[in-house]
Amino acid sequence: MSGYYLRLAWLSLKRTPAITLLMIGAIALGIGATTTTLTVYHRMSTNPIAHRNDVLRAVTIDNWSADRPFDEEHPDRPPTELTYRDAVAIAAGAPAARIVAMRKTSLTAEPGAGRPPFLVEARLATRDFFPMFDVPFAYGTGWDARADRDGEPVVVLSKETNGKLFGGENSVGRVLRLDGREYRVIGVLADWQPTPKFYDLNNGDYDTPEDLFLPFALGAALEMQPAGNVNCWKTETLAGIRDLFGSECIWHQLWAELRTPAEVERFQAWLDGYVAEQRKLGRFARKSNNRLYTVDEWLTRHEVVGRDSRVLLLVSFAFLAVCVLNVVGLLLSRFLGAAGASAIRRALGASRGEIFRQHLVEVGAVGALAGLGGLALGALGLRALQQLYGSYDRLTQLDLSMILAAIALAVLAGVLAGLYPAWRICRVQPAGYLKTQ
Amino acid sequence: MEIRPILSALLRNRTGALLVGLQVAITLAVIANAFFIIERRLETIRRPTGIDTPNLIFAESEGYTPDYQQAATLNDDLALLKGVPGVVAVTVTNSVPLSGGGSANGYQTTADPKAAPIGGNYFEVNADFIDAFGLRLVAGRSFRPEEFVPVPANNDLPPVVIITESMAKALFAGEPALGRRVYEQSGKSAEIIGIVADLQGSWLGNTRPGPSDIVFHPNGGLGRSWVYVVRTRPGERDRLVPEIEKLLNGSGHGRAIIWVRTHEYWLTRTFRADRRMVVFLSTLVILMTAVTALGIVGLATFHVNSRRKQIGTRRALGARRSDIVRYFLIENAMLGGAGVVVGTLLAYAGSSWLTRAFQMPPLPPGYVLASAGALLLLGQLAVLWPARRAGAIDPAVATRTI
Repeated sequence: MSGYYLRLAWLSLKRTPAITLLMIGAIALGIGATTTTLTVYHRMSTNPIAHRNDVLRAVTIDNWSADRPFDEEHPDRPPTELTYRDAVAIAAGAPAARIVAMRKTSLTAEPGAGRPPFLVEARLATRDFFPMFDVPFAYGTGWDARADRDGEPVVVLSKETNGKLFGGENSVGRVLRLDGREYRVIGVLADWQPTPKFYDLNNGDYDTPEDLFLPFALGAALEMQPAGNVNCWKTETLAGIRDLFGSECIWHQLWAELRTPAEVERFQAWLDGYVAEQRKLGRFARKSNNRLYTVDEWLTRHEVVGRDSRVLLLVSFAFLAVCVLNVVGLLLSRFLGAAGASAIRRALGASRGEIFRQHLVEVGAVGALAGLGGLALGALGLRALQQLYGSYDRLTQLDLSMILAAIALAVLAGVLAGLYPAWRICRVQPAGYLKTQ
Repeated sequence: MEIRPILSALLRNRTGALLVGLQVAITLAVIANAFFIIERRLETIRRPTGIDTPNLIFAESEGYTPDYQQAATLNDDLALLKGVPGVVAVTVTNSVPLSGGGSANGYQTTADPKAAPIGGNYFEVNADFIDAFGLRLVAGRSFRPEEFVPVPANNDLPPVVIITESMAKALFAGEPALGRRVYEQSGKSAEIIGIVADLQGSWLGNTRPGPSDIVFHPNGGLGRSWVYVVRTRPGERDRLVPEIEKLLNGSGHGRAIIWVRTHEYWLTRTFRADRRMVVFLSTLVILMTAVTALGIVGLATFHVNSRRKQIGTRRALGARRSDIVRYFLIENAMLGGAGVVVGTLLAYAGSSWLTRAFQMPPLPPGYVLASAGALLLLGQLAVLWPARRAGAIDPAVATRTI
């Protein structure tokens, strides 16, 4: 029977090829537009470390000015970063399964062999950085507690940096010159592109991770310049980098791994106690406001999903709605225009259900073709967007979940567009049509 | 005249009418807001930079060896760059305008540490910066070479500064600023020796400091990393980029040339999001309008086909072709009109969401009016072809099947 319905659908669609193309094209365009914007939106709002969301916490405390809050639009929010001394003190003393204090710096790498030196972005971090954030290694490992304590000159390279410096081979044990000093390579990362870059959202939500990673203690020992945000509120003499280390300027990120609610509670209590102690030294003039954010909460606080992509998402759904309305109208007119044929089939014994199913097959065929077309258009749209997004092209990769979403959208749009017309046509009274034949 | 019969015919085919009306309504709501967003983005992209953008090259130098000589490197580089044929002027800066990275400080008009400071984007430059950026001196004078003093502390003011007209307005609210002093919260102060016409600062569209609230300090090139500003003669820029890169890289000094780029490079990067929004929204607007128009054509065609007998009868009873065409035009205008009314409400609902969620200013009525007019006109054009086909129906059709 369904073969017969398919043949009927084919005949019906062939009768008015322009209208058929218009219907398929309209839904395909709507699906294409929504798939494109949905992919970008989905990529932007995805938590790249969702499986550890509940155990990771961004640590914040409010050391800002008594006169004004850090964020004047949201005065209840503590600053997003920490001072050097707080980051070090909390990382050393707070009760956590793992904890990482870190910041960014930039160094000049000398590839040797007559190649010109180039600038690298480096993350100075304590050793828990790698296990806490599930950072994958291709070769070697991170550093140990001793390297953290003594500031040993060891380095972990990103996959790209290893490619650039050592042609991608296992470079563990090799020596790299950075700012005129020698560092021993102890690890090389596998491909690692957390999108968005949740662990430091201060300079571009979709930046790639740093080029290389160094023990945190080196930053203070060698007085490495800050390369990320440095935010200051207090009038104090900052004659050089040394003053920055003792200042109230914030330029460090701090994350803790807390595995149970009890651990979270204990950590929070310790943090509150620490701030209370510091108050006695005349610091922390604002109301005590020490907050731990899960990754999800952290992404929300930083408003990672761009405003533009939310507007585009809404616009593309409005566009899809127009396309569906359009197709409802076209199908309705087409079905009712051919009501005579249905009336004859009804008079010859076809039930309402059969008429309904027959038209639904036609609608389904349109929906399926439109879905395929929509996917193709979506892929095309993403390719065009890639040009527009420049370096952020990871945002525009169509993944399986998005392909499934596009198919689901096409089916939904097809059903929405086809149900009412199919229902209307099966309610037609045959007698009225038969009389005039 | 014929509105009543058209209306009652429409009411009998409510679904079809509703569908077209809704399409027009949603399309109107989207395109009115989209045009407004596009217009604002284009305004941002096209706002003058205030500097000689087409002829500017920037180059970052970073010293990294332990025996690195800051002053010698700076002086040698400046002399080297000035000597290149095709170069008009050279200065040094800590930040590239509109690059997204720069420095800001609080400035005030009294030494009172309790005064509320005004945010100012500061550039650390040397005496040649007005020529090198291509700025216009409005009052006073530029720095003199002897005023170039190393003040290494990043919150200590040098003895003299030059500010933009916007900054002068922000600090002194219209009173003359030349010769006055600006203070830091620490109490240190500087004399304002010159005022330059506005340029856009380090960041795009920030509100505090305002986009052109800028202070120039005569202490560029301290520390170990800075940016050269090279202004070329018109047409020489692209040739000079690789030449300058080669020259600087070949001059030794134990430092790395991080990049050599035109100002256009930074503008492209900075405006990428705005440009993307313009392209994407325009595409959606065009597609949406096209789909709506084609939908109108398709539906009208069906209506014409299903009313052939009725139209033939009217023609047989004396209606002229133009009466039939007019019937469809008026029908479309009524549908479009209803859609426009609903669409206006939807447009303002959308605009109020944009205002609440993204602090967009409210939608000016002009955008709704223009979009509505355009959609109504488009509807008339779309229906014209099926309507003319209806007008061409032979009166004999009426007699055939009776």
